[in-house]
Amino acid sequence: MSTTNVIGKSITRPDAYDKVTGGKKYPVNYTLPGMLHMKILRSPYPHAKILSIDTSEAEKLKGVRAVLTPDEVPKKYFTPVYFVPYNAPSMVQDFILLSDTVRWAGQPVVAVAASSEDIAEQALELIDVEYEELPTVFDPEEAMKDGAPQLHEASPNNIAKNPSFEFGDMEAGFEDADHIFEGVYETQRAHTCYMEPRVCVADSDTDGRITIHSSMQHTFGLREKLAVALDIPESMVNVVKPTYIGGGFGGKLDIGFIEGLAALLSLKTGKPVRAEHSRGEDFISTTRNPIKVYLKTGVKKDGTYTARQIKSILDCGAHATHGSEVIMVHGLYGTFFPWKCPNQIWEGFTVYTNNMIGGGYRGYGAPQGCFAVESQNDEICETLDLDPIEFRLKNTHREGDPHPVLEGHKLASYKIEECLRQGAERIGFDKRQAAGSAEGVKKKGIGFAVHPLWVSGCVGFPDIYEHSGATVKLNRDGTADVISACVDLGSGQISMLTAVVAEELSLSADKVRIVYADTDTAPFDAPTHASRATYSAGLATKAAAVETKKRLFKAAAAVMEANADDLVLEDGKVMVKGVPESAVPMTDIIARAESPFIQVGEQGPAPTTIAEKGTIIGTASQAPPSNPSPVGAQFIEVEVDTDTGEIEVLRVVYSADVGQVIHPNSAEGQVEGGFQQGMGYALMENLQFDQETGACLSADFLDYKIPTAMEMPSNIESIFIDSHEPTGPYGGKSMSEMCLIVPAAAIANAVYNAIGVRITELPITPEKVLKALGKL
Amino acid sequence: MALTSVQSFYSPEDSKAVIELLDKHEDSALIVAGGTFLHGLVSRGLLSGIEALINIQKLGLNKIDISSDAINIGATTLLGQLKNCPEVKEQAWLGAIKDAMEYPPTQIMNSGTVGGSISSSCPFFDFPVSLLALDGNVQAEGSSGSRDIPLEEFFAGLFENSLGSNEFVTGVRIPVPAGSTTSAFIKMETNANDLAIINVAVCLSMSGTGDCEQARVFLGGGVGESPVRSPSAESALVGTKVDEEAIEKAGEAVLNDLDPLSDHRASAEYRKAMGKVLLKRALASAMQRLS
Ligand SMILES: Cc1cc2nc3c(=O)[nH]c(=O)nc-3n(C[C@H](O)[C@H](O)[C@H](O)COP(=O)(O)OP(=O)(O)OC[C@H]3O[C@@H](n4cnc5c(N)ncnc54)[C@H](O)[C@@H]3O)c2cc1C
Repeated sequence: MSTTNVIGKSITRPDAYDKVTGGKKYPVNYTLPGMLHMKILRSPYPHAKILSIDTSEAEKLKGVRAVLTPDEVPKKYFTPVYFVPYNAPSMVQDFILLSDTVRWAGQPVVAVAASSEDIAEQALELIDVEYEELPTVFDPEEAMKDGAPQLHEASPNNIAKNPSFEFGDMEAGFEDADHIFEGVYETQRAHTCYMEPRVCVADSDTDGRITIHSSMQHTFGLREKLAVALDIPESMVNVVKPTYIGGGFGGKLDIGFIEGLAALLSLKTGKPVRAEHSRGEDFISTTRNPIKVYLKTGVKKDGTYTARQIKSILDCGAHATHGSEVIMVHGLYGTFFPWKCPNQIWEGFTVYTNNMIGGGYRGYGAPQGCFAVESQNDEICETLDLDPIEFRLKNTHREGDPHPVLEGHKLASYKIEECLRQGAERIGFDKRQAAGSAEGVKKKGIGFAVHPLWVSGCVGFPDIYEHSGATVKLNRDGTADVISACVDLGSGQISMLTAVVAEELSLSADKVRIVYADTDTAPFDAPTHASRATYSAGLATKAAAVETKKRLFKAAAAVMEANADDLVLEDGKVMVKGVPESAVPMTDIIARAESPFIQVGEQGPAPTTIAEKGTIIGTASQAPPSNPSPVGAQFIEVEVDTDTGEIEVLRVVYSADVGQVIHPNSAEGQVEGGFQQGMGYALMENLQFDQETGACLSADFLDYKIPTAMEMPSNIESIFIDSHEPTGPYGGKSMSEMCLIVPAAAIANAVYNAIGVRITELPITPEKVLKALGKL
Repeated sequence: MALTSVQSFYSPEDSKAVIELLDKHEDSALIVAGGTFLHGLVSRGLLSGIEALINIQKLGLNKIDISSDAINIGATTLLGQLKNCPEVKEQAWLGAIKDAMEYPPTQIMNSGTVGGSISSSCPFFDFPVSLLALDGNVQAEGSSGSRDIPLEEFFAGLFENSLGSNEFVTGVRIPVPAGSTTSAFIKMETNANDLAIINVAVCLSMSGTGDCEQARVFLGGGVGESPVRSPSAESALVGTKVDEEAIEKAGEAVLNDLDPLSDHRASAEYRKAMGKVLLKRALASAMQRLS
């Protein structure tokens, strides 16, 4: 592997100083003079018909500037998910900004714009809405039954999507098995708990054009969906890329309500309109979809799979939105293809209920799948007394194998064996005790989980945008400006793009700036999601830097009277390859390229050449060539208090093949942050709702619990296996989501090892542990 | 959501002024100390019609006075100050307070006050339960003068207490027990920013021969509208050496006095079971402290 200057070294994050001094560029801090403030009146009922809305009293309140009711909103039904076209055939078009039917408690009914937030809030209290309550259903399996309340006419039995895959001969497969294992694994609703709320400021021009600032994960997705929601051409919307946002994790991957409503109110008033969610509103705006997995697996005595039958039921809540894609990703990459099994069938159901709408969340269907499959794998090993590491290796793919999903692609970098063996060694897996054999009230246990197949983007998925683009421009002072629509969620896209450009152009990282971008001026980029930014946006930005370098060499060739093909860039100097005496600082070339055509010097006017003139700039817009799979395995030690059921995580080892690590500190940050979210998912997080009124019972951090620094184990060790992905930028591929796919399954397996009893429903609360131990 | 109705913010410098303001604004006035719980009350819609906020941080009540017969803690003493008080750190009889101060997160320790913790009258807090075990009194001041209210009589239901309309809390007073006394506190929480699912405080006074002469057992968290006392557990302890057997019996006995609630955080059944486990652990820890 060639040596690198910047890649693989932890450059100082360019956004770090700004953030620790208050982060003034977070969208939540964006304001415009004279802007109005929007508040939303939400339905108190989970299912109802709106009979009438009286806003007259609210409109009389001093300071109220406009009120928006369902009949003023374009009747456009669309898919609000950013990464697919609004009318994607593989998705469901059931979403609308305001409707006269409410299907979940908290659905927006009326929006108000006023001169202050307080006045807008007071106005809500003056609005009179008459509802006719309708029967409700909160359990997806109940919702699928004949006679259940129907949420959407087009979807009998409330089934929004029902995909399936199959291969082999199921009957023969199960006949071939020496043992058959069956289990049901359930997961809950969890919120990404991004720190910055959903927030936006929408402004309209006199010609009806909208400019919008928002905390979201996809500039071009917002442009498209906002245009659809408002029923105006796409070019009438300009989305300004936020310099950075305060977290997204998939929770800001669809348009939701505020942008559309604020834009409509801006058009109505001619004023900028700002909207910001309260934490309570955020909690009912996006969630990981709960999935119930029925899993049946046939195995030979030696642990070889013979057949697997999977049924997954996903509760998408009131609208399908992400639910119709999450089920597919869960099926394909969460359960079906990661493991080698000759006979398999999977069927998924995305089911409407009167619950809140689901959203994207880091891992997108895979944590639910991994929890089911890896829990059962553990049961299989336990029952058949098989070595759990060898069992995994027997049933997974190997480096060089054909990619199990993408025809014509290979698992070119795929160090699953190293991940498992190095992780096991680090935690001391061979010394772990038999399940439940620890003495005393507090019992320690070790467990692990691996997820053998994941993505670096969306190549191969139907209907999903995947291309990226960037423009790189060199300045006379030797700095580079990078225009990219790739949003930094806090996960380090700024550093990554900076490192890629610095590396390619032989600059130090502090000479590269990621600059202003909006949808008017930047090339398209798909969202920051699907573990894709490094692979896809990184590659496109590298390609743009290569174009820039070509342009630099073209100018240099003229200045240096050399052949452009013979030139190389080293240490900020352009030189003829192998001839160091020929070196010219690149700043000289850039200065010449940008200088007046005739330069007046001491000897009088001297013309420069036409060939060297012009800004040193390069643009690329391209789809990534493949979709290489990262691998991640997590080994965990826990201690379970068998009198209270409380679980403490003592130690975490994460070993992964992410290809070349671009920024080691950020990579470790991803592992640690991913574990924190995974540990919350495993042990405590749960968005809960009153099963009669549909009201959220955990709408703040007093009731919705996430691990704080105090619960986190002091020791999270990351092992990045030496690996190089041939198609990736400098050998990199992806890592973010995997860090959150494996923890819940690994913790569940560690808890099993500690107490000898398995819990198959997340979160594994102390109460469930005590019940499982027969002490309650 | 905000306290939109607030018109005035006062920072009086003596109690008299506080009382006058309380009189003037009646139900629409609210005392603010650290402000840490106010926020929660507001965001849950539990406060409305508040027009005046009275900041009591300038009354000079943030001090701890220690005499031979009592510890007096001023109302605006920060929880963090209490934690760092040498007596609290070292004396076995104050163990329950020392333990209770281990739980609140740093931000709360640095801004929440002793008076606020008590006045909130919230059964889910920790300090009040430890103070109940130590038989603490609330010191209140109002237009008719000052008075001491035994903490057990102070709480009158969820967010309710026995303060008169123009009374406020100036401090708490803990009598120094005679002889050999020890105490301990344990809380069950989901994360470090949590209010108690259930918590337990015990205080044991032991004779020279190692017999338990007096026991006080209190439980908080989701046990009711106010913290509850367990006379059954107490009588199972008095007269014993608080050995393993007595502790086991007290653990069984506490169940007689517990009728906790079921909510989205825990079932009543679980809270009961934990009442027993935590009580046994608290008793063992108190005894450990004595040795
Ligand atoms: C995130 C978080 C975590 C917490 N964790 C814990 C914990 O682990 N353990 C625990 O015990 N508590 C915990 N708490 C609660 C905390 O202890 C209380 O919020 C704090 O003690 C209240 O004190 P304060 O000075 O901030 O009260 P304020 O918020 O100022 O006031 C609270 C209430 O008391 C009234 N009040 C205040 N002082 C007086 C007075 N002198 N006289 C009359 N009325 C008065 C106010 O009017 C108001 O109604 C937590 C709170 C939060 C927000």
